[in-house]
Amino acid sequence: MDTISLTLIAICCFSVIMAFATLFTKDTFYSALYMSITLITIAGMYALNNIQPVFVLITFIFVGAIGAVTVALAAMYRDPRPKLQIDFVWFIPAIITFAVIFNSIFGFNNIPSAFTNSEISVFVEEYVVFVLFFFSLAILLMLAVVKFVRREGV
Amino acid sequence: MMVYVVIVTSIAILLIGYIMAMSSKELIRLLISLELMFGAVFLALMPLFTVPNLTTSAFGIAVLTVFTSGGELMILIAAMVTFSKKFRSISTDDILVGGDRI
Repeated sequence: MDTISLTLIAICCFSVIMAFATLFTKDTFYSALYMSITLITIAGMYALNNIQPVFVLITFIFVGAIGAVTVALAAMYRDPRPKLQIDFVWFIPAIITFAVIFNSIFGFNNIPSAFTNSEISVFVEEYVVFVLFFFSLAILLMLAVVKFVRREGV
Repeated sequence: MMVYVVIVTSIAILLIGYIMAMSSKELIRLLISLELMFGAVFLALMPLFTVPNLTTSAFGIAVLTVFTSGGELMILIAAMVTFSKKFRSISTDDILVGGDRI
C-alpha cells in the first residue's frame, strides 16, 4: 500500500473520529468546531486525490463561510450549562441502516478499485446556463428570506 | 479498496449526522448535523471522480451540491435567527407543528 492510500485511510479515520466528537460533545460551540474540522478533512481527501477545484469549493464556501457562521452562532447561543444531547435509541436504526447500505454497496463489485489522476478541463461547455441558474437560485433564496423576515416583523 | 474506504466513511458520517439531527434539542445542533450530512454527500461524490469519463459531470454535480446545500443552510440560519428573536429560545421543543409557520 502506497503513502497516499495510507494517508487517505488515516484522514478517513480522523474525520469519523471528529464526527463522533461532534456528536458526543456537550458544548455546542466545540461541536461546531469539530464539525468544521470534519469538513476540512473531507476537503483534504479531495486535495489528496488532486481534485483541487472541489477542495477549494468546500473549503471556501462550506468551511469558510457557512462553517464560520455556524461557529459564530454557536458561540452566541452558547448554553452556560451544556448537557449531552444524544438519544441512544436512534443508534439502533442507524446501525441497521449502515448494515443495509454497506451490504448493498459491497454487493455491487463494479466500483473502480483506485482513484485516477483526474483533471477537470472542459467544465465550460454550458457554463453560462450554469451561472444563470445559480444567479436565479440565489435571487429566489434571498427573496424568500427577505419575505420571511419581513412577515415575522423582526 | 480506497473507494470503499471513502464510501464507508461517507456512510458513517451521514449516519452520525442523522443521529445528531434526531436527538438534537437545539436548532444550532440541527444546523451542525445538516452540515455533517452535506459533508457526507460531498464525500460520497468522490468515487465519481474515479471514472475519467464522468469527471466533468462529477464536478458539475459537486458545484450544484455546494450551491444548493449552501442556500438551504442559509435559509435555516435565517429561520433560526428569526425564531430566536421571536421566541427568545432556540430549543426545538418550542417549534410548533403545522402550516408554514415555525
